[in-house]
Amino acid sequence: MTDIFYTKDHEWIKVNGDEGVVGITSYASEQLGDIVFVELPEKGNSFNQGKDVAVIESVKAASEIYSPASGEIFETNSSLEEKPEIINEDPLDSGWLYKIIIKNKDELKNLMSEEEYKKLIGV
Amino acid sequence: MSELINENISIEKTSLFDFHNKNNAKIVPFGGYYLPINYSSGIIAEHNHTRLKASIFDGSHMGQIEIKGPFIMEALEKILPISFSKLAPGKIKYTQLLNHEGKIIDDLMIHKTTDENSVWLVVNAACKQKDINHLRDNLNEKFNINLRNDLSLIALQGPKSEKILLDLIPEIKGMEFMSSNWFRYSNYEILISRCGYTGEDGFEISIPNKKVVTFTEKLLKNSDVKLAGLGARDSLRLEAGLCLYGHDIDIEKNPIEAGLKWSICKDRVDKEDFIGGQAIAVEYKKGPQKNLLGFLPKGRAPAREGTLIYDANNKLIGEVTSGGFSPSLGVPISMGYIISSFSNKKEVFLDIRGKKIPADIIKLPFVPHNYFKRKK
Repeated sequence: MTDIFYTKDHEWIKVNGDEGVVGITSYASEQLGDIVFVELPEKGNSFNQGKDVAVIESVKAASEIYSPASGEIFETNSSLEEKPEIINEDPLDSGWLYKIIIKNKDELKNLMSEEEYKKLIGV
Repeated sequence: MSELINENISIEKTSLFDFHNKNNAKIVPFGGYYLPINYSSGIIAEHNHTRLKASIFDGSHMGQIEIKGPFIMEALEKILPISFSKLAPGKIKYTQLLNHEGKIIDDLMIHKTTDENSVWLVVNAACKQKDINHLRDNLNEKFNINLRNDLSLIALQGPKSEKILLDLIPEIKGMEFMSSNWFRYSNYEILISRCGYTGEDGFEISIPNKKVVTFTEKLLKNSDVKLAGLGARDSLRLEAGLCLYGHDIDIEKNPIEAGLKWSICKDRVDKEDFIGGQAIAVEYKKGPQKNLLGFLPKGRAPAREGTLIYDANNKLIGEVTSGGFSPSLGVPISMGYIISSFSNKKEVFLDIRGKKIPADIIKLPFVPHNYFKRKK
């Protein structure tokens, strides 16, 4: 059973047990426009919820990605190094950024449900 | 008073504002105007289409200034580092307004028209008022300075531009690069200039506000033309190594260090008889202390404006003034100043979020210019 949560900064996290997969929403990818570079965190590094963890650069500008949950990174999406445009093409699936061992699942209460997020972006 | 100031900085709409919205533009404020950053196809697609075929840009935020009066050229030569006598009527010259220290107040295009009592200037949107003030302060009051807010400006840029414009105005065929003329279209007059800000062949078209939407729609009937926004304009001019005022050049920089020596008339420097002439003559002779150069960072991370530049020994030697991703080359590119003694080095290091990324130094432009040359 996978649950999905959203941040007000347009990240998503899919949670399965103690593991989470993180990416950005379609709305964010459309707002950013053509993505040309992604700086991903190092495997093994830990981040707190809300801390800047990665950078996505579009043609226009650099944008910080804030981690939706605290925990340790155990995998990053290496295909983004050569093809960052995957995020524009498929932000919710193959355009994922990193996987994290979630340290404290109580923190997920700070995030939004799909319904709440849709309300935020006005769809 | 504060209300007055707020009114002065209110953001204006160009005559194409509704047209942009109808065409799914993403609108942003720029230089005091609401303008499209891109349309639905996105910056990279718009950029590539311009290099391959042709695009229309709304340049109506730019200031179009007409100055009239007897002996206007003689009067302007006391201000500008150019020589009108060497310029044929109908030709355009790129130049700068300088202060007494030889620093750049604005950069602009100046047209020597067929009317010897009239010149035409196209200046940056955000600099309009200070340019007019500077001209007013330095020109005799008998000259009439007229900001032509009644005219819009669209740019048609790309290798197919001439072919596309010919369908509407056949008389433009074979116009020289950097020349301009008035043409009659339908029942009104338009000023067409063969120049631009993309490194490609193309035209800038000054047209009455009331006519600009219809004219733009007519151009768009040709399937080779698409709309492009400020995003593509910026990546195109950066690839072409063209300076953007407020970023690569400003009131702290002089044209010699900015690599714009070619635009300054040597005779005028020898005579030092224009505003900033003495300072420019000194800089011209001893060479600048820093130089504007191009950088190709290794890897894919763009080094944007404000990125600090270091040498191999970790000494700070300069700063990036424009940087981004080059759609034509598929790599990041940057432009910036480094201390002149490092100009002949091969490599520098760009501090991108704390990592020192090696970058090759290159002479601008990144992508060769593709301007129109008349066949001999």
